[in-house]
Amino acid sequence: MRHHWTTMGTEASIVGSDLTAAVIAEVERGFADVDARFSLYRPDSELSRVAAGSLRLDDASDDLRGAYARALAWRARTDGAFTAHRPDGVVDLSGVVKALAMADAAALLDAGSRDWQLGVGGDLCWSAGGTSGPFGIVDPADRSAVLAAVVPAASRRALATSGSAERGEHIWTRLDLPVSPFVQVSVLADDIVTADVLATAIVAGGEATLDLATERWDVDVLTVDRAGELRATPGMRAAIRSAAPVG
Amino acid sequence: MRTRAILGSALAAFSILAIGWEAGTSNGTLATTTTTDTGGTASGTTGTGSSSSSSSNTTDSGSTSGSDSSSSTTSTSGAADGTYSGSVESTRFGDVQVQVTISGGAITDVTALKLTDHDGRSVQISNRAAPILRQEVLASQSANVQMVGGATYTSEAYLSSLQSALDQAGF
Amino acid sequence: MTATLPHVAATPEVTRSAPTIDAGRRRRLQRRRLASDLLVMAFWASGAAAAALYLASGGLADWTSAGGIVTGVGILAGLIGTDFVLVMLVLAARIPVLDAVVGHDRAMAVHRRLGKPALYLLLAHGALLLIGYALTAQLDLVAQFVQLWELPDMPLAFLAIGLFVAVVVTSLVAVRRKLPYEFWYGVHLLSYAAVLTALPHQLSVGGVLAEGTVQRVYWIGLYIVAIGSIVVFRVAEPIVSSLRHRMRVERVEWIAPDVASLHLTGRRLDLLGARGGQYFFWRFWSGRTWWHAHPISLSAEPTARRARITVRVLGEGTRRMTRVAPGTPVSFSGPFGLFTDAARTSPRLAIVAAGIGVTPVRALLESGDLAHGEATILLRGSTDDAVFLADELRELAGRRGARLFRSVGPRGATGGWLSAADRARGVTIRSIFPELAQSDLYICGPQAWTDAVVADARAAGVHEDRIHTERFDW
Repeated sequence: MRHHWTTMGTEASIVGSDLTAAVIAEVERGFADVDARFSLYRPDSELSRVAAGSLRLDDASDDLRGAYARALAWRARTDGAFTAHRPDGVVDLSGVVKALAMADAAALLDAGSRDWQLGVGGDLCWSAGGTSGPFGIVDPADRSAVLAAVVPAASRRALATSGSAERGEHIWTRLDLPVSPFVQVSVLADDIVTADVLATAIVAGGEATLDLATERWDVDVLTVDRAGELRATPGMRAAIRSAAPVG
Repeated sequence: MRTRAILGSALAAFSILAIGWEAGTSNGTLATTTTTDTGGTASGTTGTGSSSSSSSNTTDSGSTSGSDSSSSTTSTSGAADGTYSGSVESTRFGDVQVQVTISGGAITDVTALKLTDHDGRSVQISNRAAPILRQEVLASQSANVQMVGGATYTSEAYLSSLQSALDQAGF
Repeated sequence: MTATLPHVAATPEVTRSAPTIDAGRRRRLQRRRLASDLLVMAFWASGAAAAALYLASGGLADWTSAGGIVTGVGILAGLIGTDFVLVMLVLAARIPVLDAVVGHDRAMAVHRRLGKPALYLLLAHGALLLIGYALTAQLDLVAQFVQLWELPDMPLAFLAIGLFVAVVVTSLVAVRRKLPYEFWYGVHLLSYAAVLTALPHQLSVGGVLAEGTVQRVYWIGLYIVAIGSIVVFRVAEPIVSSLRHRMRVERVEWIAPDVASLHLTGRRLDLLGARGGQYFFWRFWSGRTWWHAHPISLSAEPTARRARITVRVLGEGTRRMTRVAPGTPVSFSGPFGLFTDAARTSPRLAIVAAGIGVTPVRALLESGDLAHGEATILLRGSTDDAVFLADELRELAGRRGARLFRSVGPRGATGGWLSAADRARGVTIRSIFPELAQSDLYICGPQAWTDAVVADARAAGVHEDRIHTERFDW
């Protein structure tokens, strides 16, 4: 079955053969809860109050400070390419919050289903050992077309894609770095947080971060640069090849 | 220690080091003497790719993506099947060397042989992102996908997206 | 037939007709020499191979800047240092072939000598890479350290170097003497953890050993050989032979206030393959002794059902061993030791033993290859009580036509390896063993004393190949 709803200012879908309404409701509730607390779209969210200065970060909930700590840790690991602050200084956890919420949802889904796929705002994760793909990656030049399809390796459980041309983007190019050469970056990883953070970081950090990410993490990456040229790591190349119906 | 052991050790150590040295330096010379042939075949086949910008660019695909190995090589028509190594090129992103496999007149694989990162440190090449041709991803486009990933969908963008079509088809 | 020590040096070319050197023995010696030379070559070759891995990966191409050179030297240090550590594992694995060629005690002497160089190389590896990377990236050392720390598997690598430091420091002679054996042993076991925790960063961060390279295959092979030899020869083989022979303690017999013979029973002990004079690592499965294996010689040639070892209480471990209850199961690995007539190259046999070192001597006298009248034995003890198994040896020497001397009494302030009184009478190694030039000299006793005998023997012109020693101060 296939279920679609709207949350965190974006669209979400679940596909699965053995999903129950109860599990879906639980997942939706999880996202709604995170959305209420961490979204900058809602002026009454906990994070909006932190941003507005009416709530000190020290006094915020453990969950919020935990997410903030995760974001800071990722900033250090990506040499600053991934950031928990907007250039205007506002704490922006949207980079990790959605991924953390998806990770929570994945745990719920694993408990209630053996074969599921979850997509939230263009980022995907799926069950271990279930149907993994083929998944499509959108062509940044034509949002209604598939650029490439992938059948990821068995250990992979998440595909995150970030772009620099989308409206409402949460990626802020660092001012001290050259403009990103990438219009879109897709990352296959064993967990959604790593995939999402690295996709975001590579778009923001450019070549240097691409090198760093493929060197330090076990991930597969597909990039589309401003000239439309593609680059892929060997694992991504293999995933694309496995998706081709012939050969 | 006996003289035989000393002499033998010195000889063994020297030979092994010499072999290592030879292997290390011959990689470079081997690569610079072989020619890569991507010109004739690549431009013809990639014209079918979805992005028009790629077909005009393929002969020096590296220069935009960090490896201009093929641009420096001679171009002959009628490529023979085989695996070709490009020369080591210095780019602003570090040293790059690309290997191209040609089969049946078409490029079937492009892999990075040697790469250094932006600050000159030689890095593990196994997981580097290397140029991939539109033609290579083309075949996968016809796969019957389950879900579509893309840069963050806002609600408006979603309506015109592929994922929207899939979701609707699912009901 | 213990005789008074002769103190007039006999002229070398005296009395008995010297039998010709056995051609079989000579061949055996030459084979062993070749094998031991090949081992030395293999060691240096493996070190060179570690460096060659780097050269083959084209590492020298990076030697264009100061940072590149420092980084390159650091990588070389890491490869060679790790190679040394793996060689140390192989040396400590108690591989029978290695023991037959150079002897386990000499293999362990090399093992000990490699410890410090290996550690220095690994420390240099860490320091040079930190400096080299910092130079290249133009970072300060602290920032570079943080960056290194965040690379995959690097925390494990830092843990490994910490463990190596702990293992080597606790093994320094000065430090080890002050530590209880148990503590040293416990720390030493961590070296396995160090070797294993060091591996992930070599494979994930190390460019030389990248996936799909010959270098990676070689390196993993090296690890498999080193770890595999430990697993096979220190774990699997002892288990198999212990299960096969099912040894148990029959009784403990005190033969001196601090010396006890442990009588063991088992199945088909004549098939142990032990020659007289060889030793085994014994492990007694009682609550207080199971964790520590002791190297002890057989003090009598084993029969089908019985074997005997004799131990001197030197520390807490040996004391506990003498207190095990009859029926305690015993596991073992061995036999080890070149202290057998297999190592002989000469027609005559000269034996010098001190203290508990007499145990392999007894077994040596019992072995079948000894010809009548071939051997001369000197036993050394500070008091009469300290010459163990004297009665047994006297009886055996009589049967095998061996001459048996004793040198009893304190060594005195001037040192030397004989009693002060005997030395004052003009007793020397040549006066005891007039046929020293045609003899194999077997020396068995504490290290310092053994060294003194060896020095004397060398001064008397005994060829290195004819001096056989066994350390008995473990």
